[in-house]
Amino acid sequence: MVHNFNRRHFLGTGALAGAMATMPGLFDRGARAQSAALNVFSPLPPDPAPPGAAKFSEDAFAKWQADNGATVSYETLAWPQLHDRMATAFASGAAPWDITYNCGWVPEFESFLTPYADNLPKALVDDLPPTSFATTTVGGKRYGAVFTLSLLTLFYNKELMEQAGFKEAPKTWDELKACAKEMTRDGRFGFVLNYGDPAGIGGTASYWMVFLQQAGGKVYGEDGLPAFKSDEGVAALQMMVDLMPSTDPGSISYAGINDATNVLLAGRAGMMMNWPFMWNAGNDPKQSQIVGKMTSAVLPAGPKGSASIDGTDAWTITKASKNQEKAQKLIEFYLDAEVQKRQVLDTGWLPIRLSVLADPEVQAKAPNAAVVLEQAKHPYDSFVTADYNQVTVAIGTEVQKALQGSKTAAQAIADAQDAVTAIVKRRG
Amino acid sequence: MTFARLQQGGPPRQAIVILGLVLFTCWSAGPVIWLILSSVLEQKALIAQPPDLSPQNFTLDNFSTVIGAAASLGRGIINSLIVAVFSTALALALGAPAAYALARLPVPRADNISFLILATQMLPGIAIAIPLFILISRLGLIDNVLSLGIVYLSFNLPIVIWILRGFFLGIPAGIEKAAAIDGAGIFATFWHIILPISLPPLSAAAVFAFVEAWNEFFFALILTRQQAQTTPLVIANFAGQYQTVFGQMMAAAVISVAPVILLAILFRNQIIRGFADGMMKG
Amino acid sequence: MTTTVEQRRRRTGVFFVAPALLVLAAILFYPIVDSILLALQRVQLAGGAVTQEWIGLGNFIRLFSDPVFWRAALNTAYFSGMEVVLVTLISLGVALLLNHPLGRSGFFRILLIVPWAIAPVANAVLWKWILNANYGILNGLLKSIGVIDYYQVWLGTPFSALNFLLIVDVWKSVPFVALLMLAGLQRVPQSLYRAAYMDGAGPWQSFLNVTLPTMRGVIAVAIVLQTIWSLRVFDLVFVLTRGGPADATALLNFLAYRVTFNFLDLGYGSAIANVIFALTFVLAALYVWLLWPRDVRGAR
Repeated sequence: MVHNFNRRHFLGTGALAGAMATMPGLFDRGARAQSAALNVFSPLPPDPAPPGAAKFSEDAFAKWQADNGATVSYETLAWPQLHDRMATAFASGAAPWDITYNCGWVPEFESFLTPYADNLPKALVDDLPPTSFATTTVGGKRYGAVFTLSLLTLFYNKELMEQAGFKEAPKTWDELKACAKEMTRDGRFGFVLNYGDPAGIGGTASYWMVFLQQAGGKVYGEDGLPAFKSDEGVAALQMMVDLMPSTDPGSISYAGINDATNVLLAGRAGMMMNWPFMWNAGNDPKQSQIVGKMTSAVLPAGPKGSASIDGTDAWTITKASKNQEKAQKLIEFYLDAEVQKRQVLDTGWLPIRLSVLADPEVQAKAPNAAVVLEQAKHPYDSFVTADYNQVTVAIGTEVQKALQGSKTAAQAIADAQDAVTAIVKRRG
Repeated sequence: MTFARLQQGGPPRQAIVILGLVLFTCWSAGPVIWLILSSVLEQKALIAQPPDLSPQNFTLDNFSTVIGAAASLGRGIINSLIVAVFSTALALALGAPAAYALARLPVPRADNISFLILATQMLPGIAIAIPLFILISRLGLIDNVLSLGIVYLSFNLPIVIWILRGFFLGIPAGIEKAAAIDGAGIFATFWHIILPISLPPLSAAAVFAFVEAWNEFFFALILTRQQAQTTPLVIANFAGQYQTVFGQMMAAAVISVAPVILLAILFRNQIIRGFADGMMKG
Repeated sequence: MTTTVEQRRRRTGVFFVAPALLVLAAILFYPIVDSILLALQRVQLAGGAVTQEWIGLGNFIRLFSDPVFWRAALNTAYFSGMEVVLVTLISLGVALLLNHPLGRSGFFRILLIVPWAIAPVANAVLWKWILNANYGILNGLLKSIGVIDYYQVWLGTPFSALNFLLIVDVWKSVPFVALLMLAGLQRVPQSLYRAAYMDGAGPWQSFLNVTLPTMRGVIAVAIVLQTIWSLRVFDLVFVLTRGGPADATALLNFLAYRVTFNFLDLGYGSAIANVIFALTFVLAALYVWLLWPRDVRGAR
């Protein structure tokens, strides 16, 4: 389902806004009506995208451009290619964007970004979950603002679960294992996940980090060196290994989450961890064969409780931008309460503003929002550092080996820790 | 019995050949047939196990969605066309004289130069990606189809020279001598005598350069932003993170490979003859 | 001094060659030099810019003790070696088939051209779909004819993934090489075959003693080209497996890409890329020296 993105529409609007901006006396905001051109780098819908790139709040967007004397143009790219494009652009010093989307790469690109989020209006900041800045804060400064509440939660097929004899979603690790085992029959599997790509948020390593936090462990110690070669680290990996007999064997080859999602939506697996967007996909008759049967719940608790990781879809401003203030205003527009409401109602991406999440209309359209809010009460650290890609590839590859049975969990964790130590030491 | 008939072999040999041809046909055509089939089937038929091929599942929706929804596919094809034609034309214009010179004229160290040109093919694109990007962006030529076409010369030009040089090496020296006797200068000989008889390898080289430029992915990924996106980038875009409608992906792929395949089929004889003459010598 | 014909010809020759060489130098020279320089530096993204410091051969020393690099090198050696062997043998077979009177039809030539013309990205996407663990047609076909009991995850184990990667690339590469070989076959003079027949040679013997030696140049070209191309495989790994599972399909080229673009370790990535370059160069030079028929060179 490729989004019908019509550039002519808002280019025309932008031109109109530009023309209006040159007419004197039309604006009584007191500010000089200069037409600034803002360039925004964003994912292609249906991945999280702002108004104008995705179809929502388009009138408000046009009005904003007119009011602020700005023309906004979008450069959109398929999600898997975003990081590479940004990397090349920053590395060559030729990044043309004012605002960019960021997902766990803020520490990596920190030196190219402006810590504008320290200057956001207090009213806005108070309406955001305090931990939402965790992944975009480097050295005490806030470089980005997350714009959608995106945590991994459990999605499951109610019907299959009841057939397996469980009335409610599993609440502990043992229940999860038992439930998955019961659901594995008749060519179906209890659990499915995309273990194919080790890197990044939503990769194999990040899934292990979910279980790690549920076991009470963490990736780095106080000194910045890896500290996961512990009982918790091994227990987390062992849990994933124990789940393997009830997990779809294709999981090791699913490189993207949509491959795993398709399996659940086809009714061939019972449970998976996924981002809030899955709610829409699961109830779309064109994609899903389990419409109305899908539910979500908080992730089952490990020895130390439940935990998750943050999808951290955030907006950042580049240091090279010539329109810092306008860019900040645009981001504030994206985070505007009304825009956030339309974001969830029209595109399915949850809002980040607490007030909007509590809105009854939103809760009716997105019942999983309550679940995500509940999940947010537990830890959801994504352990993002400047070497995130490299570290997750190192850890993820070891996790894959353990999942395939070619290494024990203990050995894999030990080797992973060695590899990550080398990486961290190299950065100095 | 004629010798040719003898070479054809008796029934056992013919049976082996027929078996081989059948296997070859399945192996070559199978995936392509599935490509086309998938593009005209509905999603729910494709995700049945095994795929449901009953007639009522056939649809042209995939194509209409892909064509209607994505202005980018149309632009991608136009961009690919411009880049490929431009790059091919340049490669021929620069490469034909160079190949002729390296084959027939006493250029100093011609063998070394030829090998050097071939050696450029061994360079992995990764090695030059970032320096190239820096260079091109300093010149302000990012996201420009013409600059992409010129960058593509880096692999098209060597191949064109390689193919044509091979062919030129095989031309009997007598032709040039006859032209010289008639008073033709080197350039005149090249233009009026050599080129006209080189049409098969020229078309082979042209088709080759065109296809390579059309299908190139990596540099297009780095050196373009919005305006100059080529077809392979658009295809890659279809495999987004959250949704894969397989039929549409295949439909987009069909649209993107159709022009090139048609071209290749139309010119297959030139290509084959061009390779025959061109690649043999040197 | 009057210019001789020879000098005039030489000048014209240089004049003909110069533009092409200049263009290639302009596009490639600076990036190649820069990439070698990068390989000798430690590059980090910090402070709003790229910091570079000279570390001499530090990157290369790191290469030698990096298990990931050696794993990739092993994978690449296996992949490249097998591909060259498979492609050469299959292409030869295909060319022989198409040279036979029964195979002369244009239809078969079309079949050769089509896989070659498909974009590598489109090819990768197609095969990813064919090999899909849940809905792929390969699974569907094999299960319906009873070869397998349940759907296989073809790209799921290291061994299987690497070999399927190989099969897919062989599928894509055979057409061009087969065309090459076909052209070569058609140039073998019939008189040689007749002479062999007169001497009492059977079909297999005439193949060994007439066809192969005459085709030596073609086969050499095919091997050289295939070696170079197999070391450059990227689009396939990128789309099909992204190096997985557990780095089993991480070929050297893909490793260089991952290090450069995912880890932004530009110096190390450049070092790997230059190792690939050197390797390709050496291998190609070796093949040319070993296999090139001596009498064809210098034919002017």
